[in-house]
Amino acid sequence: MKVGVKVLPRKEILDTQGRAVESVLHQQGQEGVNCRIGKYIELEVPGQNKEEVSAQVKKMVNNLLYNPLIETYELEFYE
Amino acid sequence: MMDLNKKLEHYRINRQEYSKIKELLGREPEGLEWALFSALWSEHCSYKSSRVHLKKFYNKNSRVLEAFGENAGVIDLGQGERVAFKMESHNHPSFIEPYQGAATGVGGILRDIFTMGARPVALANYLCFGEPEAERMPHLVEGVVGGISGYGNCVGVPNITGQTEFDKSYNGNILVNAFALGLFEKGEKIFNSKARGVGNFVVYVGAKTGKDGVHGASMASESFDDDSESKRPNVQVGDPFYEKLLIESCIEVMAQDLVVAIQDMGAAGLTSSSFEMASKGGVGLKLRLDRVPARDSSITPEEILLSESQERMLLICEPQNYKALLDIFKKWNLDAEVIGEVISEKQVQLYWKDELLTQLDPDLLVENAPQYERSYLPWTKEHKDESWTKGLPSVPSVTEKLMSVLKDVRGTSREWIFRQYDQRVGARTARDCSDSVGVIVLPQTQRALGIVLGHRPYITQWDAAEGAKDAILYPALELSAKGFLPMAVTDCLNYGNPEKSEIMSEFVAAVENISAACKALDTPVISGNVSFYNETQGQNIISTPATGVVGLKEDIKNIPRDCFVKASSQIYLLRLPQLHISGQTALQQKRNVTGHGKIEVNACAQFVKQVREMSQLPGVEATKVCGKLGLAYTLSRMCTTKLGFRAEKGLFLGEEESNAHWFTENLYEVIFVLEKDSAENFAKSWANLRNSESTDKLWRMGEVTEGEVSFSGEAHINVEQLLTAYNEGWRQNFESLA
Amino acid sequence: MSKKVGILRFLGTNCDQDVWRAVENVELQPEWLWYQDHFSESDYCAFVLPGGFSYGDYLRCGAMAAKMPVMKSLSEAVNKGKPVLGICNGFQILCESGLLPGALIRNHNRHFIDEWVDLDLVSANKYWAGELNECSIPIAHGEGRYYVNEDELKKMEDNGQIWWRYRHNPNGSVSNIAGVMNHKKNVAALMPHPERAMFDWMGSQNGRIFFESLLR
Repeated sequence: MKVGVKVLPRKEILDTQGRAVESVLHQQGQEGVNCRIGKYIELEVPGQNKEEVSAQVKKMVNNLLYNPLIETYELEFYE
Repeated sequence: MMDLNKKLEHYRINRQEYSKIKELLGREPEGLEWALFSALWSEHCSYKSSRVHLKKFYNKNSRVLEAFGENAGVIDLGQGERVAFKMESHNHPSFIEPYQGAATGVGGILRDIFTMGARPVALANYLCFGEPEAERMPHLVEGVVGGISGYGNCVGVPNITGQTEFDKSYNGNILVNAFALGLFEKGEKIFNSKARGVGNFVVYVGAKTGKDGVHGASMASESFDDDSESKRPNVQVGDPFYEKLLIESCIEVMAQDLVVAIQDMGAAGLTSSSFEMASKGGVGLKLRLDRVPARDSSITPEEILLSESQERMLLICEPQNYKALLDIFKKWNLDAEVIGEVISEKQVQLYWKDELLTQLDPDLLVENAPQYERSYLPWTKEHKDESWTKGLPSVPSVTEKLMSVLKDVRGTSREWIFRQYDQRVGARTARDCSDSVGVIVLPQTQRALGIVLGHRPYITQWDAAEGAKDAILYPALELSAKGFLPMAVTDCLNYGNPEKSEIMSEFVAAVENISAACKALDTPVISGNVSFYNETQGQNIISTPATGVVGLKEDIKNIPRDCFVKASSQIYLLRLPQLHISGQTALQQKRNVTGHGKIEVNACAQFVKQVREMSQLPGVEATKVCGKLGLAYTLSRMCTTKLGFRAEKGLFLGEEESNAHWFTENLYEVIFVLEKDSAENFAKSWANLRNSESTDKLWRMGEVTEGEVSFSGEAHINVEQLLTAYNEGWRQNFESLA
Repeated sequence: MSKKVGILRFLGTNCDQDVWRAVENVELQPEWLWYQDHFSESDYCAFVLPGGFSYGDYLRCGAMAAKMPVMKSLSEAVNKGKPVLGICNGFQILCESGLLPGALIRNHNRHFIDEWVDLDLVSANKYWAGELNECSIPIAHGEGRYYVNEDELKKMEDNGQIWWRYRHNPNGSVSNIAGVMNHKKNVAALMPHPERAMFDWMGSQNGRIFFESLLR
C-alpha cells in the first residue's frame, strides 16, 4: 500500500523558509498569499489492511519521520 | 485566582525574593509584574549568584574601551581599529533541540556584537559532549554541529577555531558555548544601549513576535529533570537569512548615525531589552504592546513581553531620522515599527491600546535584582589529589599506545566537525580550524588577529584553581607560540547548581584564578557569561570555565606553521615545569586524573612573553604547545604534511623512568621546529632571551623525517598509519553519523 | 574600455565584499548592482555573481534570486556577449535562471563541505583563466553537486563547456565537474571560491587570474 506523509512546520513555530518564499511571492504581486513549506514523504508499505498499515506508518512517523517539537503531519492513503 | 504558592512556583520566584518585591513596590505585585520580575530576576538575566564574584575580575587597562557594561567588551587595537567580542552559552536549549539550540546560540552572540556597531568577522565554538555511546549523543553531536554550521555559514561569518571535549560528565548536559568577534574599522562608531532623549521613538525591527521561548530565561536557570521533554514548546527557531538582513541594515543605520541607542532582544526578549535600555539611560519608556508586530493574533501581552523570538532589535531614534531609518530597513526587506517613546519620568509604562497595564521603575527590575552570597569554601590544597608523583605505569609499546590514543574520541581528528563550517567567508582567514590558532587579517592595517578558545575540563576536575589558571595561560601560550601578543579575554563559566557549596567553591576559585592569570598577562576579562544549573538529576557537570583569548600580531608574516615543513629540520622542546599531570591519558585508561605541582602565574606570564619572542627567531618553521594526551600525541598531530619524526630518549627526560612519560602532560611545554642551519643560533638566542631566574629548559629532542616515526629508537612505524588512526577514529566512535 | 565590474547583490549574498576587494585588487573598478536594479550593460566590462545564501537557500538554492529584476538586465548583457562569472551561489543562480545548463544539488554526504580542492582545467577559451591548467582553491558549499543528464553532458563536452574538474570529487558532482560555461562561453561559473585564494596568507594566489581575466 502506498502512503503519503505530509509534514508541515507547526503553526506556532516560525517557518523560516515559508516566510522568505512568501515575501518574494508578495513582491511578485501575489498580495495576501500565505505560504508554509514542509515536505512530502511517500512510503510503499507491504500489507493491504488500512488499519494495520496506518498503525505501522504512524509508528514510523513518530520514531523518525517528523519532529513533534516543530512539525505536524497528515497521512494520505492511496488506494 | 492562583494561590500564592502556585504563583511563586509558576514564576520561579522564591519566598525571599517575593518579600523583596513587596518591599520595593510597597504592595503586592500584580498582573504583568509577576512575569517581569520572574524574567529579569532569573539567574540568567540577573547573575544573582555570580555578580558579587564577577566584580573581582581584572577588567581594565589602557586598551579596554568597554567591559561588562554593554552587550560585548571592546578593546582598542591602535591605528583606529577596535574589536568587540564575547562568548555565551546555549547549553539547555541545545540539549532539548540541538540544531535550533546551537543555531540560535550563534544568532544571539552575533547580535551582541553587531548591536555595538561592529561587523562580525569571526565565530568560534567551545563544545562539550558526553561519551559517544551515551543516550542521544550522536544525535546531539550531529544537531549541534549542523546548527552552528547552518547558521554561521548562511550569515556569512567564518568559524575559525574551536575546541571539542568528550567526557561522561556531559552525558546528560552538553555544553554549547559560542564566541563571536566583530571589527570596528577606523572611523566607525561604537554604539550603546542607553536610551536617551525625551520624545525619541522606540523602534522595533526584525522578525515578528511569536510565542517562541516564552519563559526561556527562567528555564535556563533551572536544572534538567525528566520533564525536559515536556518543555519543548519553548524552542526558538533561528533564521540566519533574516539575521543577515538585520546585520547589514543595522550596520547601515549605524554608519549613517540614525540611531541613539540599540539593543538586541535576547533572553527575556522585549522585557529585558526595554527595561535595561531605560535603566541604563536613566529615562522612562512608554511602550504600546499592541503595536508590537505579532506572528499570531492570539498572543497575550505577557507573551509579547517574554517571547524569545529570534532576530529582533529594539532601537531608539530621533523622530526626524525615522523616515531615513525606515527606508534603509525597507531596502533590506525588513519591517520597522514605532512601538513607543522615551519619557522623562523614570518609569517603563506598558500600554495595550489605551489601557495602562502596568508601570514600573526600570531600576527595580534591573539594578535592584537580588544578589546572593552563596556559601562557598576558600580553595585549599585538600581539594586536589596529589597522590601521583611517579608517572603512569610503563606501556608495552609506545607506538601501539599512540595508535589507541589517536583513535580515541578524546584524541581523534575533529575534521568531521569543522569541515562543515565555512572557515573562509569574508576572505580574511589566514589560519583555520585545522590550526591551533584561528587567524584573520585586519584589512586596513594588514595586521593579524589570533583567537584561541581554551579550558581543559580534566585539569579543573583535578583542581579547580589550576584548571582556571590554565584556561587563560594555555590559550595565551598558543597565541604567543605563533607570535601573537595576548590582548584580552572573554569567558563562559559553565557550572552546576550554585546552591551547593562545593560547586560555588569551584566557581569562586575559578573567578579568582582566572583573574590572577589575566592580571599577570595584562589581558583583561572584558565580557562573558555565566551558566549555572548544568546538572541533570543531581549530577553536576565538571566545572567548565571556557575562555576565549584574543591576540594581535603586527604583521602577517612569520606565523609559524602547526605542522612539520621539511625533513631533517630539528625538533626542540622548551619546558617550564609547573604541573605534571596524568591527564586525559589516565581518563582514557579509566583512571582518575592525578598530578602534582602548581602553576605560578607570574613565571608563566614571563614564559609566554619569552615564547612569543622565540617564535619570531630566524628559522622557526613550526611551533606547537604540548596539550592533551602528552608529547607523543602532540608530535603526531604535527605530521599532517606526511612528514614523520624521530624523537630521542633521554634528551629531555631527567629522572623519569617509565616510557608512559610520552603520554602524560607537563605544563608547560612548547615544541619548536627549526630549519637545520638555524638550530644552533636558536639555542643561543634562547639563552639570551630567557630571564635568568626562569626555570625553563630547552632540549633538542629529535628531527623531522621523510615519513617514518620512532620514539627513542623503539618500533618504527609509518606516518600514514598515524594519520589513518587519527582521521578514522571519528568514524569508529560515531558510526551512525554521515 | 570600461574597467567597471558589476557585482550583483541579492538579499543573503555574503561574499559580496570579498569579491569587491578581489576585483579592486586586480585593479578593476567594482560597482554594486542591487537586486532590484536595472542597468545598462555597456557601462561594464564584466559581471560577477558572488557566493552566499541568497534568500537563505530556501526552496532551491538560487531559485528566488534568479527571478529578481536585476537578472533581466543581466540576461540582456549575456545576450550581447558580456562576460559573466558566477561563484558558488552565483553558479546556482545562473543555473536556476537558465543562463547555464544543469543544476546544483545537495552534496552526496549531505553535509556542508569546507576544504581546499585541486582543480584541472578542461576547456580554456578567450575569456577565462586560460594560462592556468590547474589550481588549488577552497570550496565551501552544501549544495555543490553538479547534475545534468547524460545527453546534455555529452553535448557540453563536445562543445567544450566543461570548465574545471575536481581532481578528487568532494561532493558527488557528475563527471567531477567543478565549473561550466554556457554555449557561447561568455558565462562561466564554478563552485570553488577564487576570491579566497588571492594572497599567500590565504593559502594560495591561484584565484587572482579569475579576476584578472574579467577584462578580456
